[in-house]
Amino acid sequence: MPAGSDIRALIVDDQQTIRSLVRAGLKDIGIHNIEDAVDGEDALRVLLSARINLIISDFNMPKLDGLGLLRAVRMTPQLKSTGFIMLTGRADTELVQRAQQFGVNNYLVKPFTVATLRAKIEEVYGAIT
Amino acid sequence: MDPMEEIKATFFQECDELLADLESGLLEMEAGATDPETVNAVFRAVHSVKGGAGAFGLDTLVRFAHVFETTLDAVRNQTLEADAAVVRVMLRSADRLSDHITAAKAGEDLGEEGDQALIQELQAFLGDVEDDTAGDDMPDFGFKPMLISLGDDPAPLELAPVANGPWEIILRPQAALYRNGNDPAVLLRELAMLGQTTVTLDDSGVPDLNDLDAQGAYLCWTVSMPGTVEEDRIREVFEFADFDCDLTIRRSAGEGANEIVEAPLPVLAVEEAPAVPEPLADAPVEGEAFSLDAILAMARDAAAATELTGDVPAPQADVSDVSQAPAPQGSAVEASPPASAPPRAASEASTGSSATPTQQTIRVDLDRVDRLIDLVGELVINQAMLAQKVLEEGAAPSGSVALGLDDLEQLTREIQDSVMAIRAQPVKSVFQRMPRLVREVAGMTGKSVRLVTEGENTEVDKTVIERLSDPLTHMIRNAIDHGLETPEQRREAGKPEEGTIRLAALHRSGRIVIEISDDGKGIDRTRVKAIAVERGLIDADATLTDEEIDNLIFAPGFSTASTISDISGRGVGMDVVKRSIQALGGRITITSTPGKGSLFTLSLPLTLAVLDGMVVTVGDQTLVVPITVIVETLQPKASDIRGLGPEGTVLAVRGSHVPMVDVGQALKFPSQGNARAGVTLLVESELGGLIALRVDAIQGQRQVVIKSLEQNYRQVSGIAAATILGDGRVALILDVDGLVATRRPAVAPQQPLAQAS
Repeated sequence: MPAGSDIRALIVDDQQTIRSLVRAGLKDIGIHNIEDAVDGEDALRVLLSARINLIISDFNMPKLDGLGLLRAVRMTPQLKSTGFIMLTGRADTELVQRAQQFGVNNYLVKPFTVATLRAKIEEVYGAIT
Repeated sequence: MDPMEEIKATFFQECDELLADLESGLLEMEAGATDPETVNAVFRAVHSVKGGAGAFGLDTLVRFAHVFETTLDAVRNQTLEADAAVVRVMLRSADRLSDHITAAKAGEDLGEEGDQALIQELQAFLGDVEDDTAGDDMPDFGFKPMLISLGDDPAPLELAPVANGPWEIILRPQAALYRNGNDPAVLLRELAMLGQTTVTLDDSGVPDLNDLDAQGAYLCWTVSMPGTVEEDRIREVFEFADFDCDLTIRRSAGEGANEIVEAPLPVLAVEEAPAVPEPLADAPVEGEAFSLDAILAMARDAAAATELTGDVPAPQADVSDVSQAPAPQGSAVEASPPASAPPRAASEASTGSSATPTQQTIRVDLDRVDRLIDLVGELVINQAMLAQKVLEEGAAPSGSVALGLDDLEQLTREIQDSVMAIRAQPVKSVFQRMPRLVREVAGMTGKSVRLVTEGENTEVDKTVIERLSDPLTHMIRNAIDHGLETPEQRREAGKPEEGTIRLAALHRSGRIVIEISDDGKGIDRTRVKAIAVERGLIDADATLTDEEIDNLIFAPGFSTASTISDISGRGVGMDVVKRSIQALGGRITITSTPGKGSLFTLSLPLTLAVLDGMVVTVGDQTLVVPITVIVETLQPKASDIRGLGPEGTVLAVRGSHVPMVDVGQALKFPSQGNARAGVTLLVESELGGLIALRVDAIQGQRQVVIKSLEQNYRQVSGIAAATILGDGRVALILDVDGLVATRRPAVAPQQPLAQAS
């Protein structure tokens, strides 16, 4: 049962609005170690310099999209066991299936409530105390 | 502020950018762009608007955006061709989306009725594709979240551990090195100064004495140095020698650790689609080095593979691809000098060279920038005061203090320019609003119009940009409504049915020039003149040049529309446009050719914070006259100045008479001696007419920082603002039009055209 303070999250989205929303949600849950990145490339840069154990990433981003980021993370030994939750628009079944094949831990459909965000993280890490 | 409200504000701000991206992307598509990048950018814009809107419960907007997005998705998947008809509907949809956002900003909801027609048009393109808007949640397809325990905390990654092994430097001089006067001993000594060196000499290349060329080069040195020495420092040593020698600089730790980046990238032992990330890699981690470049290259490869094929690619095939991915350039340490950039720089370079380099930006509160501009203004003034003081105290102009002050002045100027540049923005933000306006006005008037924009990236101060929007809007409306003919008229005149409006921006001698031209019928001078007579602006028998007639459209209350249309007219005429341009320190001129069209030219200052001024003396006061209004300065003979009426004075300038204003009198300064002496500035006033301003003396020309008089004191007629001079005194900046207006009864310059009769 992890505490919120055990989780160090990285939010990846090209949209400031979504980054802010996820950040606000995470804080509500008690996760305060949060980094931001604006696309997959940016995210990798952060991942290589900060100790992150949970990535919450959008799918459609310029430069390197969420799927590309997921694959890069899973292919890099030091990063491979980082939790990865993909943000998607509604009903994007195909995308989630692809992400699943590449080893995504969970998905989160936009728009989401704090309760859903919490549930999706807990499905990966167990209940957060 | 409530955090949610704050995020919402961010969202709306972001929406403005997204809408601009959307429109420009669609316009590119209209012009024929079909590349996936453009289409995807358009898709992403709508998708992002939708995504954010959902979080704030803007349901109407989300539903509309969803339909729009679905159609765009079809274009993206190449199941729908983005032909002219499709793009046209999309442009209208973008307008509608923009309307939704504007309404949402104001806390309103446009309702869905207005969307129906567009939704039907958008869906019609899709044919029988089922509408999936109904499903709010993802259908159950058996997704099982994967548990992770935090105990598997990934080890922190060391960035580029390659950079730590000891150096091995192999130096094999060529004969040229000795010929050019270099000495390997000196190079080795310099290396030794950087850190502990171990030097081995390889003399196996030295031939028998008989074969030895006295000027040949046969020796080779191998130097080992600690890895802590920076590579750049080592390269520096060989700066002047490395063309004349074979030089190898590399890390020599372990088994060629320097080549680690070139070694195959970590290969995943993926057999099947992985169920859990754990079994993925048995790749050797020990001593393994990662560079961002390598991972990015791999990631890009993966991204390309997943993006291009519709199906999920077989992981196996992909992995083999990845392992063959070429190592990124520049990360290998053993390389010729130009490629020896440090890893960080290399990674940045590679980022910069990716398909669409996005510039890094930060959002800064405008207040902070303005505060900075204010402070820099103070700095400029302070510097000028200091310089003047130093001269007054008798310091030698070539002394070190004076020279230091010169440098300071240079620096202050540069800071000022840089700070001004922060506020500068491309006119794009205004230009981007015009295509929609053109579409709307064209629709209302039943005319066919093409808008051509040029110089969108021309930069000008943000305030100028903001205040340009209204005049430009009005002028473009006018150009379409009054300037362009109907398609039938155009056909009869032998022109293409589609009229062209051209909007261009360019920099010209420290100002920004904006041109709005149309290829319409030009100004109907007979009608303009008739209306001017009817309105009492000119006498019926007045003889006017074409230029004077054209300029009548700027006269207050003038409107040539025979019916007040929805689009232009309504009493807001070109006079208002002209006044708002002048309020920005700008000028507007018109040239028109009957049957060919009209061209309006706006000339505006790049910034409103500084002004080029002529510093003049009036009585015991120092005043500043904006350079832009001054046409000419002259020293008139007393005989050229003639009285006109009880108070008026005119000045004879090359055969014509110009109303004259004594600045001292107009501002009610105590009278100083001979009113007829002094210097006269010929200035251009509101209606383009000339006015002669009499001042006592001209001190010089200088750039001054504008300080609002209104904010610090109150508005004074005839005075535009104030500034602080080098000696610390406050000088007033003259408002020429205001000054003339206060003197109007005496000089009546307002209607020079009427006087011409």
